[in-house]
Amino acid sequence: MTALLQMRGIVRCFGAVRANDDVDLDVSGGEILGLLGENGSGKSTLMKVLFGMIPADAGDIVFRGRRLDGHRPIDAMVAGVAMIHQHFMLIEAMTVVENVMLGWAETGRLLKRSEMAARVHEASRRFGLDLEPEAVVADLPLGRRQRIEILKAVLREAELLILDEPTSNLAPSEVADLLTILRRLREQGKGVVFITHKLPEVLDVCDRVVVLRAGRVSGRAPIGAVTKAQLAEMMVGRDVTAPHATRQAPSKLDRLIVTDVEGPGLGPLSFSVKGGEVLGVAGVDGNGQLELAETLAGLRRPHGGALSVDGLDLIEASVAARTEAGLAYMPADRSSTALVKGLSIAENLMLRDSRRAPYSRGLLLSRAARDAKARALMREYDIRAPYPTTLAGRLSGGNQQKIGVARELDRKPAALIAHQAAWGLDPGATRFVVERVLALRAAGAAIVYLSSELDEVLDVADRVAVIANGRFAGVVARRDVDLGQIGIWMSGQAA
Amino acid sequence: MTDAAPPTAPARLPALAVWRFQIGDRLAWRVAAAIALSIVSAALLVALSGHNPLAAFAAMAAGAAGSPHQLGVALNRATPYLLAGGGVAVCFRAGVINIGAEGQIALGGVGAAAVSLRWPDTPSPAAAIVALLGAAALGAAWAGVATAIHLGRRVHEVLATLLLNFVALLLVQQTLAGPLGQTGAGFLQSPQIPAAAWLGKAPDLGAHAGVVVAVVAAVALSLILWLTPFGFALRVAGRSRRAAAYAGFSMNGLTWSVMLLAGALAGLAGGVEVLGMHHRLIEGFSTGFGFKAVTVALLGALEPLAVIPAALFVGLLEAGSLSMQRQIGVPSALVAVIEGMTMLFVLAATVRRA
Repeated sequence: MTALLQMRGIVRCFGAVRANDDVDLDVSGGEILGLLGENGSGKSTLMKVLFGMIPADAGDIVFRGRRLDGHRPIDAMVAGVAMIHQHFMLIEAMTVVENVMLGWAETGRLLKRSEMAARVHEASRRFGLDLEPEAVVADLPLGRRQRIEILKAVLREAELLILDEPTSNLAPSEVADLLTILRRLREQGKGVVFITHKLPEVLDVCDRVVVLRAGRVSGRAPIGAVTKAQLAEMMVGRDVTAPHATRQAPSKLDRLIVTDVEGPGLGPLSFSVKGGEVLGVAGVDGNGQLELAETLAGLRRPHGGALSVDGLDLIEASVAARTEAGLAYMPADRSSTALVKGLSIAENLMLRDSRRAPYSRGLLLSRAARDAKARALMREYDIRAPYPTTLAGRLSGGNQQKIGVARELDRKPAALIAHQAAWGLDPGATRFVVERVLALRAAGAAIVYLSSELDEVLDVADRVAVIANGRFAGVVARRDVDLGQIGIWMSGQAA
Repeated sequence: MTDAAPPTAPARLPALAVWRFQIGDRLAWRVAAAIALSIVSAALLVALSGHNPLAAFAAMAAGAAGSPHQLGVALNRATPYLLAGGGVAVCFRAGVINIGAEGQIALGGVGAAAVSLRWPDTPSPAAAIVALLGAAALGAAWAGVATAIHLGRRVHEVLATLLLNFVALLLVQQTLAGPLGQTGAGFLQSPQIPAAAWLGKAPDLGAHAGVVVAVVAAVALSLILWLTPFGFALRVAGRSRRAAAYAGFSMNGLTWSVMLLAGALAGLAGGVEVLGMHHRLIEGFSTGFGFKAVTVALLGALEPLAVIPAALFVGLLEAGSLSMQRQIGVPSALVAVIEGMTMLFVLAATVRRA
């Protein structure tokens, strides 16, 4: 095996934070390297440095025997590095071959469309990508779209492919297919950096693993020599066993009651949740989860139906009135709904409570009270940032989500709608969110927990509902869950 | 992340950050570079037109701040920009692109003139106050028309506010040709308004009381923006409408509030111009004040307090260029070019990227 990439002593600081602190990384051709780490551990920074998106403060990069220094992404691409982002850079209205031709010099001034289609076809077969050149991207599932990105990389003769959290949006069968494709790439002599925090996938496909923690390499090992527990230990530096709540039975009282709620892409749907109970809603993304969550939260008007919290009828109520009545909501969209990145942590913590004490005193906002409250919440919910006035957009994903958790739970809500509450978080932050939700359950709230991660739903739920095409395909008590049945419900077939 | 200690003893921010300007890094350097660039290019243009740039700049400086009287001229020019610009800044902060200040200013002028001509016997301080209230009310009403069209019929607010400007200018003409017009003047203007409603002027300086009104309004706007729940709501809405909906703020309510507020301020700008400068309503008294207000708001990075120096800058620039034109004979078109270029350079240096 030949050394493809050598990174030595990479240092990159953001203010006082050393996002990368003396990191070494090697990748050979024909090798899949797992790059593991929690959110904020410096994985993305390291890859951005490699790809020339941000300059390193110190350190050397040698790629295929040539130094990369002060390079830009275009230089990295020409040298043979390809980055496959979590969010695909594709134009949905265009076909596969059109997306491949986009911005590629070899396409020529006059588009050689059929020649390109043939090349797409050939590469697609060679790497097992199974892509039709003339398929329109919008019609393809996420897994296929990701393969277009891989196809673009191999057609541009990339020798090193960086995949940033490639499995986080994929269904289980698509994940299996992706791993097969990665093995194909390895057989063809390509180097692959596989960034993830999902340990089973790493153990399944990688040859070696490098673990980052707080910007430093906290461990490196060939895959055969480590166990899942050891990797988790290296990653978080503490024990992350799954939460096992000592569960008391829910109360007898229904606190959240939904009756015949109906809207575009939703329902009619009826269910109720007792105090101290978590109703987990599983299902493939896009089956009405967002519609359900937003309708309950008051962001969408239903055509009809009823919603009550503690006997209070809320279906006509405004968002503010629902919040006042004790209905908390954690939206899936953190980048522009649950969080305003350009505002400070303190301002984000008061986002939904600015007109109430302690934030408002009469007509004016109290800045002192706001910052004091923010400091208390940052301590209590372990939001790591230098000041309450730090912009929320500067925090890692986990810390951003903790802001939402702190804001919604501090109100001591009667009911909580949590949508993808742990999405994209590393194991430590996921456990934090799940534990807080379970603590709220123990405090007697009614909780609807929507997630497309079945494991997570099974972890927290007392009852599991599966949503398909906007309706509940089935509801079952947690202890009676039969995975086969859940799978059938998820695929939308009637029981 | 283990080394990032939780904030047990956070350092206090400097006291100056109380109203927290959001202005980027090394602003002073960028502004200095922008001014240097505009001086160089202005010198080039003046030289090309066959005049001595040094003499031109001397005339400009003298015209802007050479004497108390000249400074007063600059302050009076800055006043409508500051009033209308503050309102525009608050609208933009809330993500409502209001470019209807021009029409709202025109209607404000009508309001001030109509009130003081209708009740000519009002005693001195009350007359000006009532006339200014009339100006604010009519400006707000005109902004309200745009808002109703925007929210009621889902017409984009840029279109609704922009197009109503032209309607407003024609309305001014119509009132001057009819109820408010002075017969036999040979020019579309109203009779002179009673002296009791004139804004007082500072001795020597010649700056009218509208300057004070404008500065007070800018400080009040900054207070509203940073220290009230309403200001918080509009800052959230400006950054993300979805987050505002999630926070429980009504976008319709916010749009109405900021539009009426901005309309009232623009109306005041028109009123101040009529009561402080011309002492009558004249057709076309607002020569693009409303559009310059947008420039001034952006120059001030949409921060009401920073709009004060921005408006002053434009006022000084204009007073100076006018005197350059008078004394050196630099053609007026060239003066407008220099003015526009300078604003562009400074804007390019100060406006933060989204």
